[in-house]
Amino acid sequence: MAQHTLEVLVENSPGVLARVAGLFSRRAYNIERLSVGPTADPTISQMDIVVNLEGHALEQVIAQLDKLINVISIKEIVPNKAAPTVHDTQPDYQN
Amino acid sequence: MSQMTGASSLVASLEAAGVDVMFGIPGGAILPAYDPIFSSSIRHILVRHEQGAGHAATGYAQVTGRVGVCIATSGPGATNLVTPLADAAMDSVPVVAITGQVPSVAIGTDAFQEADIRGITMPFAKHNYLITNPADIPRAIAEAFHIASTGRPGPVLVDIAKDALQAMTDFKYPTSVNLAGYKPKLVPDNQAILDAAALITQSSKPVFYVGGGVIKANASRELLELAQLLGAPVVTTLMARGAFPDSHPLNLGMPGMHGTVAAVTALQKADLLITLGARFDDRVTGKLSTFAVNAKVIHADVDPAEIGKNRFADVAVLGDLKNTISALIPALKAALGKNQPDLTPWLRQMNSLKAAYPLGYDKPSDGALSPQYVIERLGKISGPEAIFAAGVGQHQMWASQFVSYENPRTWLNSGGLGTMGYAVPAAMGAKVGAPDTTVWAIDGDGCFQMTNQELVTCALNNIPIKVAIINNESLGMVRQWQTLFYEGRYSNTSLDSKRVPNFPMLAEAMGCVGLSCEREEDVDATIEKAMGINDQPVVIDFRVHRDAMVWPMVAAGASNDDIKIARETAPDWDSQEL
Repeated sequence: MAQHTLEVLVENSPGVLARVAGLFSRRAYNIERLSVGPTADPTISQMDIVVNLEGHALEQVIAQLDKLINVISIKEIVPNKAAPTVHDTQPDYQN
Repeated sequence: MSQMTGASSLVASLEAAGVDVMFGIPGGAILPAYDPIFSSSIRHILVRHEQGAGHAATGYAQVTGRVGVCIATSGPGATNLVTPLADAAMDSVPVVAITGQVPSVAIGTDAFQEADIRGITMPFAKHNYLITNPADIPRAIAEAFHIASTGRPGPVLVDIAKDALQAMTDFKYPTSVNLAGYKPKLVPDNQAILDAAALITQSSKPVFYVGGGVIKANASRELLELAQLLGAPVVTTLMARGAFPDSHPLNLGMPGMHGTVAAVTALQKADLLITLGARFDDRVTGKLSTFAVNAKVIHADVDPAEIGKNRFADVAVLGDLKNTISALIPALKAALGKNQPDLTPWLRQMNSLKAAYPLGYDKPSDGALSPQYVIERLGKISGPEAIFAAGVGQHQMWASQFVSYENPRTWLNSGGLGTMGYAVPAAMGAKVGAPDTTVWAIDGDGCFQMTNQELVTCALNNIPIKVAIINNESLGMVRQWQTLFYEGRYSNTSLDSKRVPNFPMLAEAMGCVGLSCEREEDVDATIEKAMGINDQPVVIDFRVHRDAMVWPMVAAGASNDDIKIARETAPDWDSQEL
């Protein structure tokens, strides 16, 4: 599976890393690599998040991340542009 | 701009946000705020447990469409709000919770009554704040109300350190809120509307799959117009009961695990789901890979993350549903002018199923009271304007099935989280929001024993709700699963609540009128007696048969195709042309 990097601009507010990390944990997605750094604007930080996801799962992560109020924008760096959008369904609920 | 304490700034901000009532309990860390509350125009209702405050705020919000507000102190006060806030998140209810926090210098020291409530609520709250600087209070409150009530509504928590409440600050309430990372898309794209209209005209078996979002968006009138324009059948999920009148001939009822045969089958056999503010919950879809396999999907929602979450959408329409449906009506009119599909065979099939498999129940052979009968009579006698709040379990499903809902915001329940104990405090909040309307809590004997303390609050604050306990002396839904899936081994589901507690006496002790009923011939008179009491809360202990079960049923994890209308009894599919 191709690795995708998400460039996420977030408000530089306390707890924002916990919000992002918690979202991955709660939705059962893995983070391959994560780095956080400043931007030219001291109120905004940049997170680079590398994930081993594509297609439907990647779209979901982006959509859920975008719902976080402190997340300002998300850019997806696609490793090879040929990545198709595959819609496979999630596992069925068994409970 | 004027100088005042952070606490006064908080209360002035709540007043500026338009709050007229809040539910809460004071304690050490929030105490500074309770001093200005004492002289505020905001009505504060002193509850008996913070969970009650949270569900009351939810009930108030569900009935009024306004933001419900609850307030508690740090530590246990705040953690007691966790269940209602998680509940409000799952059912998209606009709630703002205010909590006191230990002084900022003590945060992180395991101080007395310290709990990281911002961290605890982070996974489910729509957003939350920890405020340590009093100057931040007005902005946080303005943002909290904006976030809670716009887009997909949800709970927002504002945790405020005690020293921030005590310090002096300037009060200036923001006139507008601008959040770089939060700009809900409310107006749908025109192209999406045109695509949806085009797809609808290509369908010969469309169904409106209506969720709670229609109620949140106040779009019931628009939905009625749209449904009648197309003349396609409508199913209303558990969260959408009342979004479309039950009496309307196009309404097939509730889909899902305990849905009607017609509603479940309509989704399964459709070639198009016109999904409006619904989220393909597992309780609706059953086994996802076998759900509506031949259907294309139009998915209209205000939350982009719902599109494609559980089911691929052929056409996604992102926007507020009132805007979306309003735009879809003229677009569909135009499209139907060019191509009017014939829905007659489809409607005939669905109406035939509706006629063949109406919701029903067998009365117990031993003459014991039937719970479904009680609930049916409650609905009939109280009329279509009455508001019903249910707990969670069998009585909730029967209350959804056997009360006819004609109006939005008349049916309150904990659909997503499934919170037992929701009914009494939610009914309390509902009655505060709609004081001139009859409000019933239809509760189970298990649920009632979780949150009935709020009847004291109701009795003391002139909130005359009515409670119908459907007392089958069991955790009835769990018992039903034990009957069906655990060979009748009734492990820990017997509550003995026909012996203890004595519900009418308990009700009387809490300042309510307590009534009891266990014969069918007394049901109407007992309900009518309760309807005549409007200066006190009333509790009726309906002592019903313990073995009644909820049907139809799709077992958890099973396909909707395997719906059963009674134990081991499937509909007679061979007699239906599908």
